[in-house]
Amino acid sequence: MENFFMDHYLDAFGCMSEILSENFNFKQGQRERYRRDSVHMWKVKNFLDMLKYKICAQSYSSRSLDTYSALLSDVVPSIPPELLGSLLYEELTEQRDRMLFSEGATGGALAFVPYSQSGSDSQRGCLLYPGNQGLDCLNFHRVELQHHKGSSSCVEVSSSDPFSFQLKGPVRQISSASLLNDCCVAVRSDHLCGVWRFSERNEPRLLQVVNTREVATCINVSPHVLGEVLVASESGAANLWTVGKGMQKIREEDSNLYFNAKSSWRWCEFSAHPRVMLYADRTGVELTDIRVNPVSNHTLFRISNTPECRSGERLILSRYLGDVHPFQHLITTQFSAYIMDERFPCMPMLKWDHMMQSPPMFCHAVCGAKTTKVLLGSHSSQEITMLQYSGGRAEACSTHGPPRALLRPRDSLKHLPVQIPHRLDIATSRLSSPAAGLTCIQKRGGREAGGEECICILQLTEAGDIFYQILEPEQPDTCRPPAADDDLLPQPTLKEVTTSGRKPAKQLQPPSQMVVSDTSSDEGVIGPTQGPTVQRFVAETPEREQQVLNSYNSSEDSDSGGKGQNLKQFGLQVIVNDDPELDQVCGLEVGVKDGKVGKDTADNTEEPSSLGHIGPSEWQTPVKLSDGALITWKHWLQKLMRKSRDKKPRPRCLQHLTVKTGGLLHLSEDERDEAQRYSTKAKPVQSLRRDLRACMSKRSLLVHSAVSASLGAPDVVMVPDPVDTEVWRDQISQRLTLSWQGEEAWRAWWEDQLGLNREEKVEALKRKRRREKEAKRATGRRLQLSGSFTSSVSYQSELGDFSDSTGWSSAASQGAWSDTESKMSQLEGSLECRTPRASTPSTMQTDTPAYTPTTTPQSVKDKQGDQQTPSRSRTLALSQTPKPDSTLANQRSNKRPAEDYLSSLFAPQDEPSQHDGYFLEQGSTVHHPPPPMALSSSQLRSSQPVPQRSLRMDLSQDTAVWSGFSQSQSLSQSSQGRMGLSQASQPKRKKSRMGF
Amino acid sequence: MKEASFTEKTRDGRDCALCWILCRKQSAVVETPGQILEFGPPMRERHHGFQTKKVVETPPQWKPSGRHTLSISARDKRQRSYLSLTAVLIMDDLQRELVPLEDLDDDSDSSDGNSSKGSKKSKLPLVNPMCAETPKETGFHQSTRVCLEQIREALLHHRWQEAAEYMACYPQMLEDPTNGTGQPYKELIWRISTEILHHHPNSKMEDYNNIYERMKHSGVRHYLMICLEHSFHLLLNGHIEDAKRQLSVAESWRHGKESAAQYQRIKLIHAYRSLLDYIIWCDKKFTHSNTEFPDSGDNQDMHNYFRQASVNLKEILKNPGVWDPFILSYVEMLEFYEDHEEALKVLNDYAYDSTFPPNPNAQVYLYQYLKRHDTSERKLMKVLKILHVLVPSHELMLEYSSLLLQSEKRSDIQKALGVVLEMLDFACWRSNLDTWKRLKSIIQKLQLQEDWKDVVSGQMAARKDWWPALHFTSFHASKDSEENPELMEVKAPLTKILCPDLMLKYTASQVTSGERS
Repeated sequence: MENFFMDHYLDAFGCMSEILSENFNFKQGQRERYRRDSVHMWKVKNFLDMLKYKICAQSYSSRSLDTYSALLSDVVPSIPPELLGSLLYEELTEQRDRMLFSEGATGGALAFVPYSQSGSDSQRGCLLYPGNQGLDCLNFHRVELQHHKGSSSCVEVSSSDPFSFQLKGPVRQISSASLLNDCCVAVRSDHLCGVWRFSERNEPRLLQVVNTREVATCINVSPHVLGEVLVASESGAANLWTVGKGMQKIREEDSNLYFNAKSSWRWCEFSAHPRVMLYADRTGVELTDIRVNPVSNHTLFRISNTPECRSGERLILSRYLGDVHPFQHLITTQFSAYIMDERFPCMPMLKWDHMMQSPPMFCHAVCGAKTTKVLLGSHSSQEITMLQYSGGRAEACSTHGPPRALLRPRDSLKHLPVQIPHRLDIATSRLSSPAAGLTCIQKRGGREAGGEECICILQLTEAGDIFYQILEPEQPDTCRPPAADDDLLPQPTLKEVTTSGRKPAKQLQPPSQMVVSDTSSDEGVIGPTQGPTVQRFVAETPEREQQVLNSYNSSEDSDSGGKGQNLKQFGLQVIVNDDPELDQVCGLEVGVKDGKVGKDTADNTEEPSSLGHIGPSEWQTPVKLSDGALITWKHWLQKLMRKSRDKKPRPRCLQHLTVKTGGLLHLSEDERDEAQRYSTKAKPVQSLRRDLRACMSKRSLLVHSAVSASLGAPDVVMVPDPVDTEVWRDQISQRLTLSWQGEEAWRAWWEDQLGLNREEKVEALKRKRRREKEAKRATGRRLQLSGSFTSSVSYQSELGDFSDSTGWSSAASQGAWSDTESKMSQLEGSLECRTPRASTPSTMQTDTPAYTPTTTPQSVKDKQGDQQTPSRSRTLALSQTPKPDSTLANQRSNKRPAEDYLSSLFAPQDEPSQHDGYFLEQGSTVHHPPPPMALSSSQLRSSQPVPQRSLRMDLSQDTAVWSGFSQSQSLSQSSQGRMGLSQASQPKRKKSRMGF
Repeated sequence: MKEASFTEKTRDGRDCALCWILCRKQSAVVETPGQILEFGPPMRERHHGFQTKKVVETPPQWKPSGRHTLSISARDKRQRSYLSLTAVLIMDDLQRELVPLEDLDDDSDSSDGNSSKGSKKSKLPLVNPMCAETPKETGFHQSTRVCLEQIREALLHHRWQEAAEYMACYPQMLEDPTNGTGQPYKELIWRISTEILHHHPNSKMEDYNNIYERMKHSGVRHYLMICLEHSFHLLLNGHIEDAKRQLSVAESWRHGKESAAQYQRIKLIHAYRSLLDYIIWCDKKFTHSNTEFPDSGDNQDMHNYFRQASVNLKEILKNPGVWDPFILSYVEMLEFYEDHEEALKVLNDYAYDSTFPPNPNAQVYLYQYLKRHDTSERKLMKVLKILHVLVPSHELMLEYSSLLLQSEKRSDIQKALGVVLEMLDFACWRSNLDTWKRLKSIIQKLQLQEDWKDVVSGQMAARKDWWPALHFTSFHASKDSEENPELMEVKAPLTKILCPDLMLKYTASQVTSGERS
């Protein structure tokens, strides 16, 4: 329901919202332009905006919204929710069923009409397939199966455009029959059936279209008389439609034939006699003789009447195998396939268990030299199974070998180059869309010796792709498949070379970066830092090609409206040698080749594929791809990618409260630029996701680069703006900030807050002293740093001292960094605008836990208040903008902390004095911390929190320069320390606090 | 078209093995909940939920296969071609379709049947997921399940070596204590392993025998089936004596009470053993006739085989079913011993007994027998008349029409016309020169009568609207003139006679030699 409301809000709320819309004003500050009685809703709107994020339902509530919802909830939806719910449920179950088993697709919407054999090497014909997105465009396309003895085979597509007919519904089934040179094609969509006629020389033309009241379930063209078509619909009626003359009802059944299978699916087929029809439903098949009136029926096949019938078995498809044997019919159930002889009703000539995972809905039978091959295709699982049998005339029917599964489109990914995940996902989902049709091009052995034959199996998926694979009979003498395969292995590497060669060019092309979406631009950024791996090669290739294609497509899109569909293919040939010990009849050497009909406009690259085979001894399928296959695959993939980019589906789930890290990310890119500029051996950044983890990993990168680039030109301008925890003065934020420093700190904060641990702390004093020291160091550093930004000379000297003593500091790199920072800040004349950015490195120097929390609040702020945080753009501009913002914010937030001052033990005026002292202290304590001082600090610790907050308040207030950027207490303290106040006792407090 | 004896059908015995992966796995899915059911009501409820979700159906019950066939490369020199043997028992399984029968198996697991009683059937005809995860899956189960999946993949892609390697690991499934008796797995293993051995390039006869013997003794449930298959396999490899020994052992095997399934299987075993008797009998007969010196002992031996076979077959053939090869062999033996009465009786029963399924072959056999023994035309026509009703497109209809033509009755000529016209309706006779010639001669004879036009138009009335399109289009004309000018010559004059009112394009095409009426 929720999703429905979100996806189809116009349907759900359209009517009422139009009526109501006049009375509500969702915009802020435009009231006067609306009628006076309109309700001012911007508050509600704000609240609704918030609802996009996951927030606590309790804490964020809007009373007005609640009242409105109570008032209007039963008015607003166009459809009452109860009704809508049940309807939705129905629809969803139906859709689920359709996913599992799509009745309408039975028969398959792919057909091949062979023309008369043209040459020994090829079989020409017309491929009929539905095109367009909704499969509602019927295409007649000339194709040619080229098969050369001892080499590769392929399906060659004529360069001419296919004849297309736009239909009103998706093509469900295409049935064709050709008599001599003339061919008749019947097409079924849900409510419309049409008949076309064409021949090799004549263009297809539409003969007649009929509209069926019920959903048509079956259409079949007579193999006997051209222009006779059988149409069955869900009403239970089967009609003989003589094109041009009208329909003749041959049979109508209200119920199922033998037992109640609760299915309205009907099927009808012609049989050996032109006036005897097969009438089938899920329970069985009857032969209907329409010569007499009323029609006489007798059973041909009946579920439950066959040996080893299984419970729940249902008839799926029936097909007259007129080309194979005039009396045989193929009947499939979800478990088995039967060959029935209509002269011997009720008694299957053959029965296989086809072993398919989903019921076979498409079939095609070809009569081979020795065996008849029956190909069964299933819908959802895309399987194709080949069964072989012989006999039926002078000899009894017998099977040849067990069922053989052929390659499925979704399996082909395994044989293709590795893709990066999101591409892989898209390609996988595309490749595994359910099959919609199956047909076969058979090339009979000509006069050549050996009667070489091959069959090409084409499979259509619902996405509109057509794949093909070619099967050849095994050469009895050599198990060698077509030669000339072996040498193409280096192809990928070669391609890689070219790709990497292109890479710089690509980076220089600004349009490409504009075109591609962020994901790919990410790759572009990553690329340079990464070593040339195969994966990158794959990721990059499509993009490169895309640029080439973009221009190309733009022109073609204008021509064909972007919907033209051309036959493309990519070949993937797997040749599996059969077991030589099997009788030769069933030994088929299988060459598998996949081709596709790309959905987009493209050039008609017909790349004959070759390649890849397995020696008889190896049983695994190591597949080598031909370059042609790869190229086709590439083309296909990149088109797919572009398409998928065009229409990104709405994310289904609620967005989480996202953190806008735009500034940070940009910074990181700059950092990386910096890194690239300064260091040639920059480490690859693995993840470019815009999250905190990425940021942290970048920090290390930054440090490294800083180390190596300490001599370089100070490009520190590009450093990020960390969150200032100052702005978040309330207890919760404080606690959160602290909690980032670890559980210890967090607990301590609580203990401080509650005053529980006073004695404990006294006892634990000695242990903590060390920590204090470190804290002091840290603060000292920060202090010095920040001091340096204020450009007071004295601080600079002190900083210099400090940086001299970095030898003992925990991280040498940090020290180095601070060093460079200070230098940089010194070097730069315009400190006013630089400082905000320069301050960031100092935060970088803090411990990791301390760093991370700072970002979060910032971004949150950025989202919600968008007042305080200097976004990236602002920093890039000048510091003027942040200043007023921050001051404003400080003034705003000033009031409450003021109360804190009063209540607190420590007077606010103490604070300023602290810092200087602390700062002074710092220098000394670093080397020899005096015990008494530590003691006093620990004692005071418990009462710290409040002053802390107030302090921060103060600081941000005082120093407009720091405004939003003041990073931590220590920073602000230090800036205050500049004021020159000094008090000896205060620093201890500070120190102790830093100990956490 | 050659001899079109269409009835015999073969189901390659090996093909059923694969199916068992699916089938048995299916029941494996069901069984686990079944066992859990015993733990108590709450569990049960949970499992019913699971079942409805997973669309679990009634577990397939291993019914005796109704039909078993094999191709025996008979050593009998007289029958050089493959002799296809079929035995078909008709079982009306409607009951099973509607109501799940109770388990018919000999030693059924009690959990097998009732576990699925509560499960809701999906109305979609779907195959149950082959390797569905069960909620209570241990690592062992998972690995065996994955293993089975791999075996399935390998089998379907005919990667026998790979399948064999996986199969080497799979039998540890039997050691799983939670499986109960593990019957389905035993069967599964039996089916898969024999299937692999069938196709594996390096499989040996000893391996087969080993597998078969082991599986036979792993449980009584499949004993008869395995025996039967074992003997089929031996037959395929030409070990007729061994196969017969297998079947004799199976014949004498008894276990517990006889269920219906067991009964069916025993019948099959009897039938096949008799068939083997017959084959040996044929061998003996052949050597006997060749040696010129009839050895009485050898002769006696042969008679013994006949006696054994005939006793069994006589019983077996009383059961309704399609017994084509058995009938033929029985009749042959009876004919050899000149027991014509019995042979005719058997064939008549086979053809006319209403409990038997309608079997055009039975008529054909009867007709052939009668013809061999020079029965009167009247009787022959009677048989053919019935055959005509059953299969109007049968090639014997040509003989029938000629018989009808020979008779002097006026109505018979009309009948003959009907018979031939009906033959021509069918796709397979459409461009058959003999049929058209026959039609021509019938019409010529018919034209001697005054009312021939009425007769023809009467026959053609129903065909008027589609025969032209079926036979007499310009396409047909061009095709016939290209491929079979003689046919064209025969056909062309007939068009005007058959469809006098219509302007047909058939003649309008190229000029062929000869007169056109």
